[in-house]
Amino acid sequence: MAGHRLTADAPDDVVAGYLADLAARLRGPRRRREAILAELSDGLDQAVHDHRAAGLPAGPAAEAAVVQFGAPQAVADAFGGELTTAYARRTITWFIATGPLVGSWWLLLLHPTPWRTGPAPLFAAIPVLPLIAIAIATAAATVATTGRLMRWLPETSPHHALTATIAVAALSLAGDLTMIIIFAASGTPLRPLSTMALAASLTRVACGITTIRHTTRLRGR
Amino acid sequence: MLPMRPELLKGHLDTLLLAVLEPGPQHGYAVIETLRNGSDGALDLPTGTVYPALHRLERAGLIAGDWQTVGGRRRRAYRLTPAGQAALGEQRAVWEQFSTAVTAVLTRRAWPATA
Repeated sequence: MAGHRLTADAPDDVVAGYLADLAARLRGPRRRREAILAELSDGLDQAVHDHRAAGLPAGPAAEAAVVQFGAPQAVADAFGGELTTAYARRTITWFIATGPLVGSWWLLLLHPTPWRTGPAPLFAAIPVLPLIAIAIATAAATVATTGRLMRWLPETSPHHALTATIAVAALSLAGDLTMIIIFAASGTPLRPLSTMALAASLTRVACGITTIRHTTRLRGR
Repeated sequence: MLPMRPELLKGHLDTLLLAVLEPGPQHGYAVIETLRNGSDGALDLPTGTVYPALHRLERAGLIAGDWQTVGGRRRRAYRLTPAGQAALGEQRAVWEQFSTAVTAVLTRRAWPATA
């Protein structure tokens, strides 16, 4: 069996070795990987139990169970799409969820004075609103078409979900950098409110750069 | 019965898994074993590669998975959701229509001569 050597190890060692081999090959969010390994561990225990009930001794039963489950690389490849999609959904959701946390500081700092209704003064004060709107639309479409709406809409592939993740992170990065530049150019002195807005945006800029680099690497695999 | 080539299952595995879960909830390994045994061994895929299909069905909201503790062991059981039941009904109708049409063509003894 490719990728997993059958040995004369103790039955528990055969199953543990198989799971360790698989764990080393899975790529994606840690909690999802742990849940997958826990589920497969239970399945393997059941398979060993079934083979023993069919008359095999403990060692051959464990070996038959891991053969039945497939080569670790084949199983890791089969889970690749699910783990990639889980990563994309989680990352996109994080960027959208942190939007109000960052944006509210900038809104409090740069809101039109006095508060006026209507989009024009708001766009003038916060010019990145169109970027935010595009990011929200991209995120909503991706999360919907990798979730329950994929019953009715074409499913977004894992590769395209990664592309959408890069787009959302890049839009967020552009929005944060624009706000920082606008503030720096205004010459306004640093106050607690502006310090909070800058710190929030700089944190997200760092996260955006890390996400774009990591997701681009994943997408290239 | 000879095992079927995995590529022949493409597009049908989701429906087969939904059908296996129709009678009641089962854990992942039991679902895959029911699929294998119910087809007299023809649908004999590596067990570990079928779990992702269950996860995808769960993401689509067609099945729901819950962790349970059975005999001190954590086990994930799957059940059909109302949306899954509806999807299974639709897929059954599509399959019956398709298989009727294909069988009609494949079992025809002689083709009529064309002008």
